[in-house]
Amino acid sequence: IFYEFNYRHMANTLSLYRTVKRLGIPDERIILMLADDMACNPRNNYPAQVFNNENHQLNLYGDNVEVDYRGYEVTVENFLRVLTGRHESAVPRSKRLLSDEGSHILLYMTGHGGDEFLKFQDNEELQSHDLADAVKQMKEKHRFKELLIMVDTCQAATLFSQLQSPGVLAIGSSMKGENSYSHHLDSDIGVSVVDRFTFHTLAFFEKLNMYSNASLNSLFNSYDPSMLLSTAYYRMDLYKRALNEVPVTNFFGSVMKTIHTDSAYTGFLAAHDAELPLSVGNNILDHVMLQNEASARRSNIEEMNEAQLMSHGWTEVLLEQLEGKNSDVVVMYGLGTMGILLAISTWLSM
Amino acid sequence: MEIRHYWSMAVAAVGFRLVLVLFGGDLHLASRPEVSTPLTSLRRLAEGYWLKQVSMSPYSGSMYHGSPLLLSVLGPLTSKRSGGHHSHIYCSSLVFVAVDFIAAMLIRSTGRTLQMARNRSLKSLDLTKSVNNSVNVSAGDTASLIYLWNPWTIITCVGSCTSPIENLMVVIMLHGACSRLAPLAAFGYVMATHLSLYPAILILPVALLLGYGPDTPPTKVFLQKGLSANKIDMSDNGKGTSQKGFGQFSWKPILHFILWVFIWSCYVLSLNSIILNKVGGLQEMFEKTYGFILTVKDLSPNIGVLWYFFAEVFDFFRSFFLIVFNMNIIFMVLPLAIRLKHRPCFLAFVYTAIVAMLKSYPSAGDSALYLGLLGLFANELAEMQFTFFLFFGYIGVSLLSPVMHNLWIWRGTGNANFYFATGLAYTCLQVTIPLCEHNIECS
Repeated sequence: IFYEFNYRHMANTLSLYRTVKRLGIPDERIILMLADDMACNPRNNYPAQVFNNENHQLNLYGDNVEVDYRGYEVTVENFLRVLTGRHESAVPRSKRLLSDEGSHILLYMTGHGGDEFLKFQDNEELQSHDLADAVKQMKEKHRFKELLIMVDTCQAATLFSQLQSPGVLAIGSSMKGENSYSHHLDSDIGVSVVDRFTFHTLAFFEKLNMYSNASLNSLFNSYDPSMLLSTAYYRMDLYKRALNEVPVTNFFGSVMKTIHTDSAYTGFLAAHDAELPLSVGNNILDHVMLQNEASARRSNIEEMNEAQLMSHGWTEVLLEQLEGKNSDVVVMYGLGTMGILLAISTWLSM
Repeated sequence: MEIRHYWSMAVAAVGFRLVLVLFGGDLHLASRPEVSTPLTSLRRLAEGYWLKQVSMSPYSGSMYHGSPLLLSVLGPLTSKRSGGHHSHIYCSSLVFVAVDFIAAMLIRSTGRTLQMARNRSLKSLDLTKSVNNSVNVSAGDTASLIYLWNPWTIITCVGSCTSPIENLMVVIMLHGACSRLAPLAAFGYVMATHLSLYPAILILPVALLLGYGPDTPPTKVFLQKGLSANKIDMSDNGKGTSQKGFGQFSWKPILHFILWVFIWSCYVLSLNSIILNKVGGLQEMFEKTYGFILTVKDLSPNIGVLWYFFAEVFDFFRSFFLIVFNMNIIFMVLPLAIRLKHRPCFLAFVYTAIVAMLKSYPSAGDSALYLGLLGLFANELAEMQFTFFLFFGYIGVSLLSPVMHNLWIWRGTGNANFYFATGLAYTCLQVTIPLCEHNIECS
């Protein structure tokens, strides 16, 4: 989830949006909240284009941007509604956070902030205890399994100081009393185009692709206080897993575990090992038990072969005995035999 | 009496079909609801074949509802695309032309068998003089020519549907039964029932044909002859021979038939389960073919009467009316069998006419079949009433039905009632034919 206001904040958000999409998260899983007043602003001399670098190499506001909440829809109320899922019935699905108890959520916020607050559209504030309350409600309603909150504002770490829900990891670009600085000024546009924390985050991710297993630890360790000119502080007391075991694609990308199968759909009596779901916990005992089940099932089938029971395994038997010839060929032979049998029987009975 | 130029007319019919296949691409017969139904459409077969090729069940998505054997035989033909975008149509249409020709030849030989049996029985009744006097065209030749030149048959053959194969199986069954070849009859019966459910009721005429032999005049005639006063001696002999020759019901062919039905059905079911090995099995096949036929799930318009009714029936009564419509066919089976047991071939014809009228997805192919069989009884046709009405009724329906369909669907100036009216008129015609024939037979 993003929120945005000034040029560099919009550039921050859009660049992270682009990174996250590149690493595999589809638009239907991203809720993008932008104030969206920069791309077509009359003071932007590159209309409909947003850059995050003064070399202007990458137009962030290209064809592939789907903004869910823009302009005056970006309010604290809507933000909290998105988090807790308490929408009015007319709100479309694309604007809802449709997560369940197994979801990993990345929440990225950037803008102007201060001690225990974040500014929304220059007339509202999101307070840290409101955020903590919303996260607590999310946990109650089983709307996430793991949540990473990333904040790039001044005194960012204060925003998540009130959090108490388990499974939440939070990192902010600066600590209480520190400012977060922008990275560089684009003299052509006349404003700063990206913040330092986001810049270094993006730099870390540019080296990765979807299948990298760089860990969160390496991400967090890549923030150098001398480069950021602030201390990136992260809070991991609520998060139970060790950070060096968690890949960044856990939150920033979308990697699904694929199991290779030989054909599109397998039959009902398959005794392949590939079909057995290995338990995620990698309990060795479980693994051994599952293997035993597989071999037991296979020996059952062999018994069926020998006993020649009339269950629907007999076609398997027949095909195995035909040494795995293609069933189409078998059918062709069967049809031919049928015709020959018909001819012979007719001739015999004449 | 043979028909002159029989072979030239037969070959001309085949040539005409070939011309239509090669050059009639604009007719778009495959998209007409009178020709292709959800059960017989070749386009659906191609879809089912493609689904099977990607290891999915051919019945998924409710497109294909036919037999897996047809998938294996016709499937590869529908997907060949070498040399021109119509070549796949060529292969399958040539197959159907060949199938039609074989069916016509079998009808011809069935007619010959019937003719010979009738001449034999008439001779035993010393009616040969009247036989020679009356108009006596060769029933087989007439029937096969009617079958070949019937416009409905030609449209079915050219219009990419699998009805010609179903018709061929029914004709094989009748031929085998008339010639008392139990394996052939059993094969035709099993395949016809497998491809479309309704020929199952033809087991009665087939059993009667195998038991009694082909059509004979009613036993009453024999008994009357036996009781004629002038030839008491002959009458005793005649009654004896008649009872021995014609009134006896022999069980041996029936038992052979049952045995061969059992063998063929086991064979066909095992082939089907091999084809559907990994993708759903026989239960799904029965559910999606027979279940689909009996529960009328697809209500797209056709030339029958069920779609209109089931489009407006309330869900609460739907099962009741399904039972009513299916029982409608079953209830006609037994009384007709009792009435016409001495003429099993005619009984088969009446059954095919009833099925063509009352089945859930009728098409032009069904009427092609029974109009062809009608020709087998050509000798009686000479006395049929209403021939003018029937003949022009058929022409009228076959011309108006596509027009009404166009008005309804494409132009929007008509509605479903227009099209359904032609369907109703068609059903009335079909009812009239067996009624008239029946009156003649039993008078």
